Amino acid sequence: MLARIGLDEAETARIGVELEKILDHISRLQQVDTSALTETAQVGELVNVMRDDVPEPPLGAAAALRNAPRSDGHHFVVGAIQANELDA
Amino acid sequence: MAHQKRVEPQLHAYLTSTTELAEQQAEAAALTLAEHPDSASPLCGIPMALKDVLCVQGVETTASSKVLAGFRPPYTATAVQRLFDAGAVCVGKTNCDEFAMGSSNENSAFGAAGNPWDVERVPGGSSGGSAATVGAGVVPYALGTDTGGSIRQPASLCGVVGFKPTYGRVSRYGLIAFASSLDQIGPLALSVEDCALVFAVIAGHDPRDSTSDPSPVEDPQPALGRGVDGLRLGVPREYFGAGIDAGVRGCVEDALHVLEAQGARLREVSLPSTEVALSTYYIIAPAECSSNLARYDGVRFGLREEQPSLTDMYLRTRAAGFGDEVKRRVMLGTYALSSGYYDAYYRQAQKVRTLIAAEFASVFESVDALVSPTSPTVAFTMGERDDPLSMYMCDVVTLPANLAGLPGISVPCGFIDSLPVGLQVLAPRFQDARVFQVANAYQRATDWHATRSPLADAAA
Repeated sequence: MLARIGLDEAETARIGVELEKILDHISRLQQVDTSALTETAQVGELVNVMRDDVPEPPLGAAAALRNAPRSDGHHFVVGAIQANELDA
Repeated sequence: MAHQKRVEPQLHAYLTSTTELAEQQAEAAALTLAEHPDSASPLCGIPMALKDVLCVQGVETTASSKVLAGFRPPYTATAVQRLFDAGAVCVGKTNCDEFAMGSSNENSAFGAAGNPWDVERVPGGSSGGSAATVGAGVVPYALGTDTGGSIRQPASLCGVVGFKPTYGRVSRYGLIAFASSLDQIGPLALSVEDCALVFAVIAGHDPRDSTSDPSPVEDPQPALGRGVDGLRLGVPREYFGAGIDAGVRGCVEDALHVLEAQGARLREVSLPSTEVALSTYYIIAPAECSSNLARYDGVRFGLREEQPSLTDMYLRTRAAGFGDEVKRRVMLGTYALSSGYYDAYYRQAQKVRTLIAAEFASVFESVDALVSPTSPTVAFTMGERDDPLSMYMCDVVTLPANLAGLPGISVPCGFIDSLPVGLQVLAPRFQDARVFQVANAYQRATDWHATRSPLADAAA
């Protein structure tokens, strides 16, 4: 559900087996003693990269909407969100 | 472009041909060369191709995914713009594994590219189309991207040179993201010199990518002629171990003797965490991909499968738009990041990443560069590796460099049954020039890179 991919039953079964095999392999990672190690999220040495707050011309609505599956010329158009909250 | 048309039905290296753009750029380049022949870039007027994960304004860019079919980016990637500014002539967008996830090109939603040495075999991946078209003699260079070996491995399998720069050296602005802490753009070409020429143009700081490094880029040109006399080259024991084909090992050992004869001092070294690098990568890369690919939700661009409720629209759009490998990685990533498993998988993988980077740093205290095979095997047959895990093994000696952010290259170093073998050279972070130094010393002493594929010969 977290992945937001709607699989049918046959796909769920097949991918489930494949993922189990992959997880089984990568679980060997648990055997490494990491008690003295810190985490690496990125290898770059840069932190808190800042820039001057200077306004630049924006992309513009027309360009931003050009690839939209549905729009009204000013906005992206989607189905009702609330109906779906009630479903859940 | 005539040669492109001739070999394309067999090779399928391109998803889009940009004939009109190429003609415009060629005319502009001709003008530049006529008016300013002395100040023109060496790349001015030279044809090239771009992996289809790199955005070009107004040109269909799909990342080989159905979810992005028809997508025309509103802007151009920085690395691409720099080449265009230098006068490059873009002939097309190349085939690749969907969202750059794969090692054979078979994960392309639009059908795999072939290998120019044997079209029944895979070109490698994920930058398979870029490697195939260079290997087939259609363009002298192409851009690819490397997240776990996706430039070096296809270069090895197609008998061309493929260079992955230091993480942070080339801006990722305009690159469709797979795993942001690992992705890097780089060239595939017929020689080390050509890779260095392209690298010099695309490298350098870009304020639009906050991970791009502001330090000055070392000019790779002087390093090309420096040779390896006195250089200390480490041979990682683990990179020659189980899983490496005996023939590949033999070719690479011969290459090491060539470097030794040039004055390099070889020393066996150990990177003990290599055996868990694959597991580390297959947690970190899917975790980052699951986050990056959350944007394909059918709202702002790409495919939408209409449904009455928004959640159902998300579920159907992503089920219809993504191929199997992308689905597996997104699910693996969300699993590794979910609250119950975060510590056991994602946090643990991040800690082991620290260990892997530290082992490289420690080895580089006593050697100047590392040499090894690029790929455990030569190009395999289409459909031969139908099990995801066996496909992941293709990258076992390339992906540790991505985890540590190192620069690396693959250069042709022999053949097994007329299929190319690659030699990998790795160096410390920001020592991109040293990678070129070692690779070019090898290339000057050998002529493997000058051997042309059957499809390239068809050009003559």
